[in-house]
Amino acid sequence: MILTKEKGHYSKIGFKCGLEIHQRLSTEHKLFCSCSARLTDNIPYTSIERSQRAVAGELGLVDRSTSFESSRDRTFVYNVFRESSCLVDIDEEPPHDVNPEAVGIALRIAASMDCRIPDEIEPMRKEVVDGSDPSAFQRSMIVGYGGTLDVGGRGIPISSIFLEEESSGIEDTKGNIAVYNVDRLGIPLIEIDTDPVIASPQEAKEVAMKIGLMLRLTGRAQRGIGSIRQDVNVSVSEGTRVEIKGLQDLSMMDEVIEHEVERQLKLIEIKKELAKRKTGFGNVVNLTSIFKGSKAKIVGDALQAGGVVMGMALKGFKGILGYEVDANRRLGSEISDYAKKAGVKGIIHSDEKLEGYGFTDSEIEDVSKELGLKEGDAFIMIAARKDICERAMAFARQRAEIAVEGVPPETRAANSKDPTTRFMRPLPGGSRMYPETDSKPIPVDAKMRKHADAGRIDIERITKELEDRIKNKQISDQMLWSPELQLFNMICDAHNGLNPQFVASVLVEKFKELKRSGIDIDAIDDGVIIYIFGKYADKSITKNAVEELLKAVPRSTAQVDKLIGSRLRRMDYESVKSLVKKLGLKDRGEITRRIMSEYRLVVDGEELGKAVEESLK
Amino acid sequence: MYSDDIERLLSAGKIKTGDGVSVTFDGQIIEGVLMPRPDVGDSGILVVKRKDGYNMGIRYGKGFSVKKTGERREHFSFPKRSAPKGAGLPRISMIYTGGTIGSKVDYASGGVYMLTKPEELLHDVPELEGIASIDIHDLMSIASEDMTHAEWAKIADETAKALNGGAKGVVITHGTDTMHYTSAALSFMLKGLNAPVVLTGAQRSSDRGSSDAFVNLICSAQIASKSDVAEVGICMHNTSSDKENVFIRGTKARKMHTSARDAFKPINSLPICRADASGTIEYIGEYRHAEAGSKKKVSAETKFEEKVAIVKTHPNSDPGVIEYYTGKGFKGLIIEGTGLGHVPTTTSKKGMSWIEGIKRAIDEGVVVGITSQCINGRVNENVYRNLRTLRGAGAIFCEDMMSEVAYVKLGWLLGSMGKAEAAGLLNKNIAGEISERRDADWFTE
Repeated sequence: MILTKEKGHYSKIGFKCGLEIHQRLSTEHKLFCSCSARLTDNIPYTSIERSQRAVAGELGLVDRSTSFESSRDRTFVYNVFRESSCLVDIDEEPPHDVNPEAVGIALRIAASMDCRIPDEIEPMRKEVVDGSDPSAFQRSMIVGYGGTLDVGGRGIPISSIFLEEESSGIEDTKGNIAVYNVDRLGIPLIEIDTDPVIASPQEAKEVAMKIGLMLRLTGRAQRGIGSIRQDVNVSVSEGTRVEIKGLQDLSMMDEVIEHEVERQLKLIEIKKELAKRKTGFGNVVNLTSIFKGSKAKIVGDALQAGGVVMGMALKGFKGILGYEVDANRRLGSEISDYAKKAGVKGIIHSDEKLEGYGFTDSEIEDVSKELGLKEGDAFIMIAARKDICERAMAFARQRAEIAVEGVPPETRAANSKDPTTRFMRPLPGGSRMYPETDSKPIPVDAKMRKHADAGRIDIERITKELEDRIKNKQISDQMLWSPELQLFNMICDAHNGLNPQFVASVLVEKFKELKRSGIDIDAIDDGVIIYIFGKYADKSITKNAVEELLKAVPRSTAQVDKLIGSRLRRMDYESVKSLVKKLGLKDRGEITRRIMSEYRLVVDGEELGKAVEESLK
Repeated sequence: MYSDDIERLLSAGKIKTGDGVSVTFDGQIIEGVLMPRPDVGDSGILVVKRKDGYNMGIRYGKGFSVKKTGERREHFSFPKRSAPKGAGLPRISMIYTGGTIGSKVDYASGGVYMLTKPEELLHDVPELEGIASIDIHDLMSIASEDMTHAEWAKIADETAKALNGGAKGVVITHGTDTMHYTSAALSFMLKGLNAPVVLTGAQRSSDRGSSDAFVNLICSAQIASKSDVAEVGICMHNTSSDKENVFIRGTKARKMHTSARDAFKPINSLPICRADASGTIEYIGEYRHAEAGSKKKVSAETKFEEKVAIVKTHPNSDPGVIEYYTGKGFKGLIIEGTGLGHVPTTTSKKGMSWIEGIKRAIDEGVVVGITSQCINGRVNENVYRNLRTLRGAGAIFCEDMMSEVAYVKLGWLLGSMGKAEAAGLLNKNIAGEISERRDADWFTE
């Protein structure tokens, strides 16, 4: 759903949008320890279990997002990996000195965006209680501020650039247990924030693309799924700043923002409607006795497992819960999102078709009576284990109450299948930062500044060099904007004899084609891809075999060798010649067709042409 | 402290740390809150906390000026909770002495200090309310590396007072570095003990959501209120996980890791028990059981001889160090030898043998005990000739006692009784510090 908007629509509604782009850096070590910063396929050798709790922040207050997470009473399991995790990662050893390689790259990026660089960098702790960090905080530091980035002729202010630790990757969640992998934790991550001056969803996408390009042009951006993440902050007048996280696919960014704008506008409509009504919130009431022997499976299952049914009146909410706020999502879905955080599957509300669940009229009547409902009132119900149910009710109530105020300040997650988003947690407030007392401040000396300046990214020069190398404007343009640009440079640098145009076309066109057909190209290690091209460069394989090898998604160079040995070794010229001779045909096209249909993976097209010419002489 | 230039500027503007400031330099203005200079780093750099919470360093230089924009927010206080007084729950005492468990970041200065009041700690651990009714003793607030026998005495007195006042058990929060010295001291000092005395602490300060303090406090309260152990012990994490704690005899516990949560391990012994937050206690090793209904009072015998030291031998070690101590009037020495308790004896270089020095010290009236730097295992005076020579010199082999415990014990013995009696008791078990036997799976425990 692309919503076409009249000109000036976004300024009229008070659209405000800023970006936070996170990119993992490709360094040898992690940011605060000597672990490898490369992700491997290793399996964890041990795991540990921790609980975390909300503690008072700098203002003596427990941050609303941390207390929300902590009230969920969760247990975190951390999988620990050899080479890529150590005691520092699991919060059993203080951090080591900061990785100078990562600081160097970060300062280059800051200089490239015309940022000011502080005289001294102060490592900070940013509190996180979603469990993604065993220490319950993320180390982060400001490395640049007050910069500008040219996007299509407009200077976009870059408010801050941060160097921080990547969080752990989530492996699994089961009820109150979340399982994380700490191999990813602590990899250097750069965060680039723009001012909230982006004028439209389309511009947001362009800015994100440009920042992504700049990062890749450093040659030090990690590639692969999840290595870059775009967070978007969006608000409209009368709305609230909402942060959308986890946008991996840039192509959807504009749509996701459009949907968020619409959602906020709808929530404002709801607020205005509610302002006209007399609203209120009833107490949470145990309704279990009403549903003894109920035919409705949704409550029956919970009761059978020893659970309870609880309900609450939302006075004046009739019709509002079913009000659509996004594609296929209603205010009821928003309330349900909150309840789900307590571990329930969802809520039941009175704007739904209740008979569809198998509830009888008399059951619903009893509920109305029990909750004291009057005309114009609505209700929500949850069926689950008692403690979970109580918590889910409290969360649901929290969301319902904000409906009266409009748009709740939230961190939301982009859904992967469509441009909608879902609630993750309340937007963190300001009380989450304190100094990393285990780490020394990092003075920025003249030498570091000089190095940063010398490493500034000059897009014009790079564009020109790339065109000269590839000798095809269209492919070189695609290559410049491709996430595989770094890989292109690595391949060409490693193998001088290769035709850069061939490499570029494989990386931009073939990769796209293979990905579309479901092949997980990103799972192939850079080193393995470089090795495959090397095999082509030294004439061990043909052009077609390059694609064939990529399709096999080899995990190691040994696996590449095995595949080549078994069926992909390039045929030598003498053998090609004897193949042609054996056919004894006179028609050029027919010879080529016949041989290629059988030997396309091992016979080089050019060589075949030469052999055919020779035989017809 | 900031450099003189910056300090001058700040005092001229009547600006103190914590005030809102606007700093002008190099054609730009940074707004924020003035932070104090950490003890490390360049004093010519001003640290400002920006609105987004990030700190940033600005170098003092030409055209640099600072303007005050707001008053310092007075030192905030952490939320507190008064000690839980659940009716019908066992009454225990919590004696607070400081350490990491009582540390929180000082937001004014950015360092971790012992700021926490016991009530602040309780706020973060509401679970305690369901476990026991707790009497708080805010005894002192010091780092464990600063502990001396004077503090051990105070803690012992306070513990005896609490138990004689009817507490079912005592939890003592303590810094971890020397917790095992304190636990050994209390083991010797508390006479007639008939209740659990549980020392606990934290390897991560309690201002962190990931602190081990919370689980350590809960498990310690469980042991203090529920177990029938009549001994002093240390209760800390059993593994890196927050799942389970281990309770180790006070004379057999040692800090074996600088920073990990499960730093404390039993040495030459099994732990007394394991406990989890829910109150499940699994007894493992032997222990002294409390006598039900006993009316006997606990006494604290806290005299301690200061002139006792630990000396470690190593290749090339100069035995002259013994003379240094005897010259200063030391009355007891624990020599941490190698292997079974060796000290350099028949060295090729003349004058490097420790035997003469030890003999002379003993002749001068110093009690000399021998332990091993292997940590695990028992010393022996018979296996090798050099050991027999050492024994012949009059040194006392301290069985499977750890050096730290032998040190505390000798100090306490010499403080409490005559030299001859003290020397006689050094290698006899008093408080579980010496075990007669050890199972074969000593290392896997």
